Order: sequence, then structure tokens, then C-alpha cells
Amino acid sequence: MHFNLFHLMPYPYLPADFDEKHSTASLTIPNGLFDPAKGQELYNRYLDELEFAEKLGFDAICVNEHHQSAYGIMPSPNIIAAALARRTSRIKLCVLGNAIALRDHPLRVAEEIAMIDNISGGRVISGMVRGIGFESFAQNISPTRSAARFREAHDLIVKAWTTREPFQWVSDNYEFRYANVWPRPVQQPHPPIWIPGTGSLETMQWVAERRYDYLSVYAPSRVIKIWFDMFRAAAAACGYTPPEEKIGLLLPIYVAQSDQRAHDEARPHLEWLFHRGLKITPELYFPPGYLSDGSFRGLLSSGMKPFHLLSYDELLDLGHAIVGSPTTVREKLKAMKAYLGFGNLCALLQFGDMPHSRAINNMELFASEVMPAFERSGASERQLQAAG
Amino acid sequence: MNDALADGAADFVPRVLDVQGCAVHFSEGGKGEPLLVLHPAGGVAPWLPYHAALARHFRVIAPDHPGFGRTPEAKEVEGVDDVAFLYSGLLDLLEIERVAVLGISLGGWIAAELAVLERRRVDQLVLVNAIGLRVEGAPIADLFAMSPPQKAAALFHDQAVARAIFSGDFDIEMIMQFYRNEKAFAHLAWQPFCCNPKLRRRLPRITARTLVLLGAEDRVVPKAHGEVYANAIPNAQIELVPDAGHALLFEKMDAGVAAIERFLSA
Repeated sequence: MHFNLFHLMPYPYLPADFDEKHSTASLTIPNGLFDPAKGQELYNRYLDELEFAEKLGFDAICVNEHHQSAYGIMPSPNIIAAALARRTSRIKLCVLGNAIALRDHPLRVAEEIAMIDNISGGRVISGMVRGIGFESFAQNISPTRSAARFREAHDLIVKAWTTREPFQWVSDNYEFRYANVWPRPVQQPHPPIWIPGTGSLETMQWVAERRYDYLSVYAPSRVIKIWFDMFRAAAAACGYTPPEEKIGLLLPIYVAQSDQRAHDEARPHLEWLFHRGLKITPELYFPPGYLSDGSFRGLLSSGMKPFHLLSYDELLDLGHAIVGSPTTVREKLKAMKAYLGFGNLCALLQFGDMPHSRAINNMELFASEVMPAFERSGASERQLQAAG
Repeated sequence: MNDALADGAADFVPRVLDVQGCAVHFSEGGKGEPLLVLHPAGGVAPWLPYHAALARHFRVIAPDHPGFGRTPEAKEVEGVDDVAFLYSGLLDLLEIERVAVLGISLGGWIAAELAVLERRRVDQLVLVNAIGLRVEGAPIADLFAMSPPQKAAALFHDQAVARAIFSGDFDIEMIMQFYRNEKAFAHLAWQPFCCNPKLRRRLPRITARTLVLLGAEDRVVPKAHGEVYANAIPNAQIELVPDAGHALLFEKMDAGVAAIERFLSA
């Protein structure tokens, strides 16, 4: 199992009347609610938490891109990864990911990731995402073009990393008469690419064809089971069986000395994540064309409830998070691993408005009481790969 | 479902023609001078009451825009200008040399582009609450960000009608059809938002007699847009329909159709 620490960098200081007054924590919630004095404290505190993961023996620290949202305040995850590159020495730096479909200049992503790969000595993992639906509004990119832009931007970035002379790029959405990225990445032929998906078969097939790592976020276990089985079938159709390490899951986890204490402490923060951070109207979450007709039809028939309508108990029962004593968390995680067949865990150990001390306790307990119960795989292999 | 959205009398023929590789589906009905009727982004159906009403005096030709209703998406259609070229091709195939064009909202934008492109062929033009322009200080409402009830409230002046529209149950196939239409609309109008920034300076090329018909209570497209159309098109007049919102031809059909017929018969 790979253990990665994932951080969203939420802005926890929402007003007391948020639940009544705001239909979402994204796009339309006024940025006047962001207090820059608290911003300095927050960013540095969150960077401390990410850096601490190296001391605790995690394989990677993961950051991601979100725009115009209190859910996550990393519009540029590459800035955070660059800061982390200088303050860590061993741990992998995973940008999970750059929302390449939202960029008018994908070469900028190729350049920045290559820079961080150089600064860090080949420690970057390059995740690529389309961005959440509301970001089609935030970046003013038509959701109907998002899937095509994603594929084109990916192809362009990989070609820019792997070509050693200037080339011309012309596709439906991008034109570059000179593509000639300096610096080249340290990792050859290019940094590992991780792709999160949310059930789209087209994405799974695309990931399987390229033998990238597939990851899943925020869905009930029974749904993720279906998705991972679909991904394995897509890989089988490409003639291979993906090792468990190539299948990943993002999961909020909270460990405390006892089950009772864990629930008492985690509950408000988990509710913040799902009821406030992820609160969004369907129109902003799924703008027209963001999902293919098939995926939209699947969503309509799945009967999935919006996150902010799921109670704390429902969230836990459905497998949206694991909370409990070290024993409970070990057992539940083992059961989930066996059920889903994944080997790459992106653990969200700070979530919602969880204060620093609790996040640190959670990280320490998880590292000392949960991680050792699993066979660690591939870390040394990945490092050899990077060095080679 | 409100009666206003139910199909009108079925006195039309569904037709399909291959235009530049796109299977353009359209309804045709009525006798008289040809009237090309270009539908708005919402409320797309083969033959609505206003089609039937107009077909009493005109040969109504009502295509579904690419990606809407019965017409499939077309890879070559990336913007409203492409739709205008498509309908120019449709008129070629139908061998129509002179045509009146009625465009509603999104259809009004397409109609204006077509009247610029086909300045001799389009001799009469009616724009109903047309989008297509960027007017400083008067943004068009973002329908993409609204829930269905919010949308209805924005589209109709009469809020009782707005509520009735969304009172029924919608089955999955109906929602999928809405989604498909919304997607086609987003493809044409997400960015630049509901406009072609170059259209305004091209409007003086339009030679058609033009009626700019506005719902006096339109909450989606500010009146300033209609005023810009009416001022920039050389031979244009403006008329307001009282107590009508953006969905003018749904909630004040009789008054709207009467104004259109008066203008086209003058």
C-alpha cells in the first residue's frame, strides 16, 4: 500500500449564517469573507502539516487546484508544490491535479511541473483533472469543450516533456507554433501521471490505454467498487491487470484513542467538509455538457444524494470516510481495501475546520497505529525509478 | 406541463435535409410567403402553438438548431455564425430566394447573423427578445447557473405560469432532452457569453425591414439589447408587448403573434 497525505487547504472561517444564507461555498460566495490576516496563518499552517508528512513516513503529499472556493484555497497547486519542494527532501510531491482543461496555456503546466521536478530532484507526480463543474463558470471555459480540451492539453503536455526539439502544435483548442519547453523534467520519459475519475467509462478507458494511475474521490463504497471493477475491465481490454498500487482512493480518515472520542472530534469537521465545503447547487456542479449524455443519464438513475444532504451517519455508513480508534480504522481500512482492491491511499487527515493540533494528532496516530499494519509497497521501487 | 408548451395543431410536416453534412430536421406547415422561424434555447418542440398561429398566413419553416431537438450535434458547428451558414445552405436547398426570418432569443441572434450574411435574401426580420449582443452595464442573466424553478421565474413575467411550468413530474427521457438542449446552448453561448462581440458593428449591413419585439418585463435580456438592435439596424422599429417576460411567445402568444403578423403584412 502507498500512503499519501492529501490536503485541500480549506478556508474554515465561514460566517455563522453560512448554512442559511449561502447555497454554496464556491463561485458566488463573496471573497470579502476571506480574511487575508487569517490567510497567512492558514497557508503556513497547512504547509507545516504537509511537510510533517515526510517525517511520519508517508510516500507522497498531495495538493490540488480549485478556484473561487472556500472548499480549497489552492488556485495554483504548483505554487504550493514548489514551496514544498524546498522544505522536503524525500517525499513525493503530487499535484492532484492541475486542471488542465481550464488552462488556455497547457505548456505553462508542462513548464511548471518540469521546474518542480528539477527543484525536487525528480519527486513530482503530475495529476491531471478537468476541474469541478463550477470551475467552468469560474474560468469561463465552456463545459461542452472540457473533455476535448483535457485530452488535447494532456497530449500536448506529454509531447512537450518528451520531445527534444521545437515542434508545432495545432489541435481544435490549442495552437502553438513553438513548443519547446525548458527545463525538461528530471524523471524520464516524464513524471508519473495520476488521473482521478468519477465514474466516466471514457476516462477509465483513456487511463487504462495509457497505463496511468486511476483514482476515485467522494463516492459511496458500493459505487467505487463498480468504478474500480470497470477500470480493471478497461485495463483487461488493453491486455493487462493493473497492480493495486495503480488504483487509488481519496478518503477522509480520523483516528483517536477511542471510537467515541474519534467521532466526537471528527464529526463537526467531516460535516464541514460535506455540508459546507462541498455544498453546491446541481447547476454549478454539473453544467451542461460537463458530463457526457451517458454519464448524465447514469447520474440521474444512480439516486445519489447531494453531499450536503447526507447525515454524518450516512456518510460513514456509505464509506465516505473512516472514523474511529486505531483498531477500528485498521479493520475498516483493511476491509475496504479487500472489497475495493486498491493500493494507493490518499488520506485526507485534515478536513473541514479541523484545527492544527487535531490534524497533527490524527496524522501521528495514523502513521504510528494504522500504516504499520499494511505492507508498504513500491516506495523504494518508485525512488529507484526516479533516480534511474 | 403547461398547456402553452404542449404541441399545437399537428398541421405540419416533419422534414430533414442534409445541409453541409448536417442532417437538419425542420417542421414545415402553412401556406404563403416563406417564414423561417428560429427557436430559442428552451422550449424546443417540433410544432408549438405560435408555429400553428403563424402558419395561418405563412409557409412556416422551423428548423431545430444543431444539437437541439431532433437535429444531431455537428462537429463543424462551433458557434452561432456556423449555424447562420448552415441555414443559408438550407435556404439554398429549399430554393428560397426571399425570406422573412423570425428569431426568438437564441434564434434572434442566429437570425441577426443570417440577415448580415444574407443581406439580400433576408428581406424581413423579426427579433424577439434576441440575445447576441454585449451591452455594457446590461448583462444577460446567467440561465446556466439557475435551477429549473429559478429559470422559470426568470423567463416568465407571470409567476403563476412560471410555477405551473415546473409543477409536473419529469421523466428521465424528458430531462435528457432538456440536458441535450442546454448542452447545445452552452456550446454556442458559454463564451463569449450569449454574444458575438463583432455582431454590433455588422448590424448596419442589414437591409431587411426589421421589427424588434420585446417583452416589456423581460428579466433575462435587458431592454438595452433591443434598443441597440433597433438603433444599429438601419430600417428597424421597436415594439413592446406589455405584461410579457422573456418567454413572450409562450405567455403572451396572441399579442406577440398579432404584432408579428401586423409587421410582416404591412
